[in-house]
Amino acid sequence: MSSDAVKKITFRVQRFDPEKDRKPHFQEFIVPVKRGTTVLEGLLYIKENLDSSLAFRTSCRMGVCGSCGMLINEYPHLACHTQLEEFHADRLTLKPLPNMPIIKDLVPRLETLFEHHKSVKPYIIRGDNAEMEKPTAGYIQKPHELDEFLQFTYCIKCGLCIAACPTSASDLAFLGPQALGQAYRYCADSRDEGQDQRYQIVEKDHAVWNCHFAAACSEACPKGVDPALAIQLLRKGVAAKALRVKKTTAPALLATSLPQAKPKIDVPEFTVKQK
Amino acid sequence: MKNTYLQLAQMVTGALVAVLLAIHITVQQSDVVLGLLGIKVAGPTTWGSMMERAHQGSWVGIYISLLAFGLFHALNGFRNILLETNLSASAMRILTGCIIAFGVIFLILGTYAPIALFSSYR
Repeated sequence: MSSDAVKKITFRVQRFDPEKDRKPHFQEFIVPVKRGTTVLEGLLYIKENLDSSLAFRTSCRMGVCGSCGMLINEYPHLACHTQLEEFHADRLTLKPLPNMPIIKDLVPRLETLFEHHKSVKPYIIRGDNAEMEKPTAGYIQKPHELDEFLQFTYCIKCGLCIAACPTSASDLAFLGPQALGQAYRYCADSRDEGQDQRYQIVEKDHAVWNCHFAAACSEACPKGVDPALAIQLLRKGVAAKALRVKKTTAPALLATSLPQAKPKIDVPEFTVKQK
Repeated sequence: MKNTYLQLAQMVTGALVAVLLAIHITVQQSDVVLGLLGIKVAGPTTWGSMMERAHQGSWVGIYISLLAFGLFHALNGFRNILLETNLSASAMRILTGCIIAFGVIFLILGTYAPIALFSSYR
């Protein structure tokens, strides 16, 4: 198919307006598409040309902001990150992300995601309060220490992992793979001293021990993050702490306490005559 | 760390139940297994054979351990399933209390028979 060839695809979109509808229903739209058209572009076409009342979230259009997560043909995807060609079909069913209440049409309520995220203290916790209040320098972190958690920093909080998680579907109070993944991300950070605080949070009911390890979260993540791995590593840490076999390491030092760097070697003189 | 200890105990008891249950099943079927090898033994499920095992301290220990580990593993697993049913915290506390009471009663009842048998022999 050439890049200009136009094909028509039927978008079967779940509609729900809490002010008018008692339950969700489907509406179909015919959308002209060409090679490379994304699901989000199809939705924008509907919004601009067919029905301006259609509600969905979008922002960056490049898989960075995590706003346009939705269920496309019964699987969670980012609409901007998903090309229509991938489905090899003339019909597409779009629904809002499951395991979350619906605000309108394809817009889910994400408060629970962010509440759970905040509950695991997703920030560096240090004992030196004065430095935390008024930082004087950065903390030293070596590349291999960064590698311990780097992939988990790529989380964009789109909620696809929660939509894919079978435990989140049945247990509404479950912290979810996003929050647990971020709990591990900060526990594994060599600059952090808040492990004990986070372990107390994640070892409660509806948290780290309630994961069924279906690993659907890791499969659904559009950024290649592996929350299932994070949950297993978090379990390992919590268990080691409970059994008192966890190695304690000194927290990262401030960059100001680094020994003086060796003086730089002088730049050799030019061997070619400068003009 | 209460939940962590419970989960670790769940894993350990699961492994122990698997071992003890394997011993139990193998012994119960020993006439069949050994019969395949051409060795004939008296039926392990006969009254005499059962009483003989009931009078050996090691077997009493194995059966009481199997009961205790099995009860803990099953009831803690059942509580984990109930946790996912979105019950309120107070309802969950009541159910947990009921599960503990059920486990303790069945452990007492279950240990009474082998201990009574063992004591009567001595």
